[in-house]
Parts: sequence; C-alpha cells; structure tokens
Amino acid sequence: MRNLAALVFVGGLAFLLLVIFNQFDFAQAPMVIGQGILTDAPDRVGAANIVTAVVLGYRGIDTLGEISILFAASAAAGLVLGRRRADARRDPPGGFILRSGAALLFPLMLVVGFYIILHGHLTPGGGFQGGVILAAAFFLPLLARPETPVNHAGLSIVEGGAGAVFILTGLAALLQGGEFLQPLLDNGVLGELLSAGTLPLLYLAVGLKVGAELAGLMARLADVEVDEP
Amino acid sequence: MMPIEIGAVLYVGAIGLVVIGIAGIVLSHHLFRIILALVIAEAGANLLLVLSGFRWDAIAPIITGGGATQTMVDPVPQAMVLTSIVIGVGVQALALSLTLRAYGAYKTLDIRELQRRMSADLAGEAGTPLPQSLEEPVGGRPLPAAEGDGR
Amino acid sequence: MNTIVLTVVLPLLAAFVVPVLCRVSPLLGRLLGPLTLAYAILLTLQVWLGMEGKPFSIALGGFQPPLGINFYVDRLSLLFTFLTLVTSLLLWPWRNETEPRQYALTLLLAASACGLALSGDLFNIYVFYELISVASFGLAAGAAFAASLRYLILSGLGSVLVLCGIAIVYLQTGTLNLAQLSQLAPETLNTPLGMSAFALILLGVGVKGELFPVNSWVPEVYAAASSRVSGLLAGLVSKLAVLVIVRLLVLLFQQESALQLMLILGLLGAISGELAAWRAKDMNRMLAFSSIGQLGVIFIAFSIPGETGLFAGLALSLHHLLVKPALFLLAERWRGSLMGLRGAGLASPVAGGMFVLLALSLVGMPPLPGFWAKFLLFTGLAAQQSVIYQVALGVVLLSIVIEANYLFRVVMNLFQPAGDNSVAVITDHGWLNLGTTFLLSALLIAGMLFMGPLGAWLEGVAIQAADPVLYFDTVFPVSAIH
Repeated sequence: MRNLAALVFVGGLAFLLLVIFNQFDFAQAPMVIGQGILTDAPDRVGAANIVTAVVLGYRGIDTLGEISILFAASAAAGLVLGRRRADARRDPPGGFILRSGAALLFPLMLVVGFYIILHGHLTPGGGFQGGVILAAAFFLPLLARPETPVNHAGLSIVEGGAGAVFILTGLAALLQGGEFLQPLLDNGVLGELLSAGTLPLLYLAVGLKVGAELAGLMARLADVEVDEP
Repeated sequence: MMPIEIGAVLYVGAIGLVVIGIAGIVLSHHLFRIILALVIAEAGANLLLVLSGFRWDAIAPIITGGGATQTMVDPVPQAMVLTSIVIGVGVQALALSLTLRAYGAYKTLDIRELQRRMSADLAGEAGTPLPQSLEEPVGGRPLPAAEGDGR
Repeated sequence: MNTIVLTVVLPLLAAFVVPVLCRVSPLLGRLLGPLTLAYAILLTLQVWLGMEGKPFSIALGGFQPPLGINFYVDRLSLLFTFLTLVTSLLLWPWRNETEPRQYALTLLLAASACGLALSGDLFNIYVFYELISVASFGLAAGAAFAASLRYLILSGLGSVLVLCGIAIVYLQTGTLNLAQLSQLAPETLNTPLGMSAFALILLGVGVKGELFPVNSWVPEVYAAASSRVSGLLAGLVSKLAVLVIVRLLVLLFQQESALQLMLILGLLGAISGELAAWRAKDMNRMLAFSSIGQLGVIFIAFSIPGETGLFAGLALSLHHLLVKPALFLLAERWRGSLMGLRGAGLASPVAGGMFVLLALSLVGMPPLPGFWAKFLLFTGLAAQQSVIYQVALGVVLLSIVIEANYLFRVVMNLFQPAGDNSVAVITDHGWLNLGTTFLLSALLIAGMLFMGPLGAWLEGVAIQAADPVLYFDTVFPVSAIH
C-alpha cells in the first residue's frame, strides 16, 4: 500500500517535471550573464579556460564555499568514525601485480595530477579534477600495502595550509584596497602557463586541499572496513 | 526534427534520473541503496543544470589558438555543475561514513530495523515507555554512546 | 565597508587552521574560535554604525554584480549576521573534552550562516546552504549518528529539489543575480513555471526550516543531539532557511499563489507540530515538536503580503531565536521522561524559574515579548480579506491553546513535590548552561523593557527589506547596464 502511494507520488512528480521542462525550447536559454562573461573574461581575467575564470574569478566565493564543504565533510567523517584502534586487524597486502602496479603508477599519477592542476586555466581540468587524481595516487599504495600507516597529521596540515593560502590570497587583495579575492598580479599573455595572475596559485591551493581531503576521507573509510569482524 | 528530439531525449533522461533517484529514496529500505539513489538523483539535477547552458554549434568555453570568435556554450552552468558535483561528493562521503558507523553499532542496514533500534535506544535513555522497547532484549545490543565517547 | 566580507572569511580561515593549531598549542586552539567570532561581531557593529541605515552592495573579487557575485548588506542581513555570530559564540562548545573538529564545524556553521544572510546570488546561496547542512550534520552526528542519517538523506533530497528549481530559474532568465532577477521576475517568473520553481526551492530549503512535509528528521535529531547543537539548529539554522525563503519571496516570486502555498504548508506544520508536542513523552522531543509548530507559525506570518508580514515574521523569528536555545539548554539536565521531572523545579529553583519565564513568553503572556510578536501576527492576519487568512487566524489561536496546555502541564510537574515513586533523573545544571540561559532570559526581559524603540526599529528593518526596488537600485546604481 505504502509502495503504491509512493509510486503514484513519484509518477506525478515525473509528469510534473516533464511538463515543466517541456516548456523550454532546448538550447534556447537566454545567456544574460553567460554572454557578458564570455566577452569580459579574456581581457579581465586572462585565463584561456573561461570556466576557470568563472570558478576562481567571477564565482570565487562559491569555490571557497565548496572547499569548505569538503573540509566540513572530512572533519565530520573524522568525528563520526573516530581513530582506529592500534590492534585492529588489517587487510592482507595486495598481490604482486597490484603492488608493482601501484609503485609504477604512483609517480605517473602525481605528475598527471599536478599537470592538470597547473594547466587548469588553459585546458579542461583544474584543481578539483587534479586533486582527485592526487588523492587516488596516494590511495593506490594504501590499497597495495594496507599496513602502511596513514599520516593524518600531515594530511591535516596540508588541508589547513592550502585552505589558508586560498583565503590569504584573497585577503591580500582586500588589504591592498581591492575586494576580497580580487585577482592580483599581471594577467600575462593569454594561453601561456604563467598567465591569469593569481589563478594558478589559487588552483594549486584548491588541488592540494581537495587531494588531502579526499585522501584522508578514503583512508578513514578504508580503516573502518578493516575494523569489522 | 532531429534537434528537437535530442533535446527531448536529454530532458527526459535528466528528469528520469531525478525521478528514479527519488523513487529509490522513497521505496527502498536498504541504507546503501538509498545513498546510491541519492547519487543518481543528484546526477540528474546536475544534468538539468548543465543542459541549461547548451547551445547549438557552440564549442567548449576555452579560447584556443588564434582566439577565433566562435560561439561558445554558457560557462556559468558548467562552473555551477562543477561546484555541485564537489558538494555532492562531500555529502556522499559523509553519508557513507555515517552508514559505516551505524552498521558498526547496530549490525544492520535495513532502515526500518535501524529506526526501531534507535528509537528504542533513545527511549531507554529518556526513560519513556515505548512499545518497541518491550520487545527488545535487554542485553546484547551495543549502545552507540559506549563507542562514541572519549575520542 | 567591504570589511563585512571578513565575517564570512575569518571564521572559515580559523576553521581551516584550528585542527593544526590544536596540535601545536591546545590553549591557543581553544581560544582561536571565540576570539575570531568576537572580532567578527566587532566588525559587524562597526559596519552597522558606518552604514547609517543605507543598504549597500559589495562586488566580490571586484567583478561587478550581474557577472560576479555580490553581497547585499542591508539592516536585515546585518541583523542576521550579528545574530549568527552572537548565537554561535553563546552556544560555543566550551567543554574541555570537545575536540578541534567540533570547533572547526561550529566556525564553518557560523561562516556559512553569515554568508547565507549576506549573499545576493541565487547559486551562492545554495552553496552556503549546503555548507550549513554539512556542518550541522557533522555537529549532530557527534552524538546522534543514526538520527542524522535521516537528516542527511532528507537534506540531500532537498538539495536536488533546490538544484532543479535553480535550473528552472536559470533557463527562464539566464541570470543568477538576485537584483537582476528581481527586475526580470514580473515578466518571466510570474508564471506557473516560476511557481513550480518556487515550490521546488521552498521544499528544498524547507528541510532546514522545519517546513511541514520535510521535517521528519527534527524530533530524532533534537532528541539525540547535544543541547547546544539542538539550540543552534532550532534557533539559528532554521531562521536562516526562513530568511532565504523570505528574500526570494520579496524579490523573485511576488505572485499571490506562492504566498498561499507557504501559508498552507505553515498551517499544516503549526497544527501537526503542536499536536505532536502535546503527545510527546520526553522533554527534548516535546521541544522539537513545538519548534516545528512555531516555525509553522513563522511561515504563516511571513506569508502575509507586504511589510506587515515581514514585521510580524521577524518579531516571531527573533523571539524564537532567543527562547528556543535557552529552553534546549535547560532541557539538557532534564532530559528524559516528563513524568520523571516531578519536583525538578523545586530542586533547582533558578532553572525552574527561568523555564517558567521562557514558557510564558513562548505562549505569549502579555507583558513579555512573545505576546507582542503574536499580537503583530494577529493584527496582520485579521487585516487580510481572504478566507484562508481567517482560517489561519483560527489555527494559530488553536495552536497557542495546545501549546499553553502542554507547557503548563510541564511547569505544574516541575513544581510539584517529588513523590516517592518518581524516577529522579534530576541533576544540577552546569553553570555554563545556566549562565547562558540566564543571559538569554536577561535579553528577553530587556526586550520587554525596551519594547517601544525595539518595535519601531524592527519595523524599519522590515520596511527596508520589503522593497525590491531599493534592492535593485542599491546593487545597480543609476548607470545599470544590461
């Protein structure tokens, strides 16, 4: 009975949403701020990747909120899961293929991760995407050798430090008489690696923070699994 | 005809994901499935958002080479979706850790069972009579507080 | 003027640094949070004195509003920034055994609540709203992980709905800036489409505002979480969700049907919450359900069109923000069955006395501030012609009767001599909780004494906030380009 009611409710919702979105002509949405940003961004921010200009420039405070959410989630997960017991049983180490694969891939993934972070203002990618790759790079050895201890203290220092760098970069602009998160430094030549002012620095901070956050979260979740009898 | 059909397919797909997710949340009793359903619903919402910036014959909003002035898609929804995906990841990680903790304490992932145990625990703590707490065995059920303290 | 950004940024910075600092020096780590909040309060007061009642807008990052994100600072948003900072300082987890993560989460909650009050961008509001959610899951999960799972799933559902609503608004208008939207709204959002966007956003944001169909997480979380967290959630977070909805109603969704939808949901919430509270058997659950009821009444108040509704709603919100955390703090030591509380008021007369005072104000006893808030609501409702507002008047009266009934039952119980068979769970209140409650009660009495100027000032806040033209002109001064 309850299922039937739920099905009717969900069906009604589907119908409603379809009716709503049927009213829009596909790909005809007005681009009010979008067009403005497309014309304004190349000169103003100097990033070839305009999505990056939006993420770190026009909507920089959103990004600050976003990394704070990741930070809050990782802090809350730490609070919920607690510290692992020293005598807890651990997974057996991985097989030969996993171990040597992890050893081979680790430097490669580091390089790719940093490449994606540092080219975030030029090509698709950036701090979030690269940060996830960094986190995976650090998680892979943990899969291969579960007995390696995770340095949570170091991770929390990277976490806090990267977040502080992001905010301090923003505050530096405020102290110089601008607005919070106003881009500093010269824009440089559009399309070069060292361009777009402080954007690469901000993305590096975001990347390190996301990487540390996700690596810590995954390590915590993996730790709990071992605790189960 | 073709373009309109693709638009309809995309909208129906996105809304379908949202509705499948919501149906999963409402209908399933398994905690892990509920979280997966939440992930699906979020994916649908993100798809809706990114569709709102789409234009025909437009390229990704990245300036390449000689700075050709081709039409580009709206960059704002892309930035928004990036944000909402990351938010979703944070929430899902937290949901998973809560699930693990709940499983550790109650050894079940059925939400009806969890609900029953939890209200019994709360009632036991508060000293209020609850019909459920009468059926519950007095010993043998691990109290969450015993594990959560002192960390 | 642009130092107001620091009220958001400094708590965030402190939250990032606190876990590391606690490893280096526990004392500094413990002091960092309160000091940051105190400094942010100072900054807010400074801006308040500097703005001389005139609203202004800040373009974050120097990117002018329609393209970038702006903070809109008027008396209402400053008031809520101030209240956020003060409440989180009052309900700070002072205890020694709390770990740095709890400090960090409280700071994140304060920062995001300030951001929510100040932000002038639809998607930015969503981001801060999610940050509030995640921080409050974390705080609640410390004590009540199973209960906060339901909270988390409902909230996740809510954010999916909000995202769909934002997608509709963006598809329809192509912008996210609230000021620009307020100008476009009469043509583009005054349609069934706009109405559906509002319904989606209302339901989504309503999860935190304890709105009727999406509030089933409330009793369990409040019953299990620590009293300081419950106070923060019931007092502060719910009000900020309401604030967001009110801003959107004033600026974006000016149609009557939007108000009526909120009115109906508020009515259902008020009546169901009060009835459930009447049936509740333990203190925390009773307070949780009654909080649902009072939030319903607040939603009813805000659904009265014009300044009257805003004025009444603001008065009720401020009153609830003051009283509810105090009640939750008192309830910490009176956790448990209501029957077991027999004689508790006699055992600790100060706490009992304050409970009576707060309960009287909650019900709306004449000289206390609660009466004036309810009085505003009644006059506002009575002035409306539509039948549904008359029904609302009746429902609010009924809910007050129910509320009075169960609160006086508890008070009677508290001051009855303890029988032999009473299950005594009465312990003394910690001086910290008692002190905080005392401070809140003192504020309540002060509010009663200065009711005249306070009311006039609050009316000014409401009039300023109810003016979408002023909002637009502030964000886009004369030379607005579109």
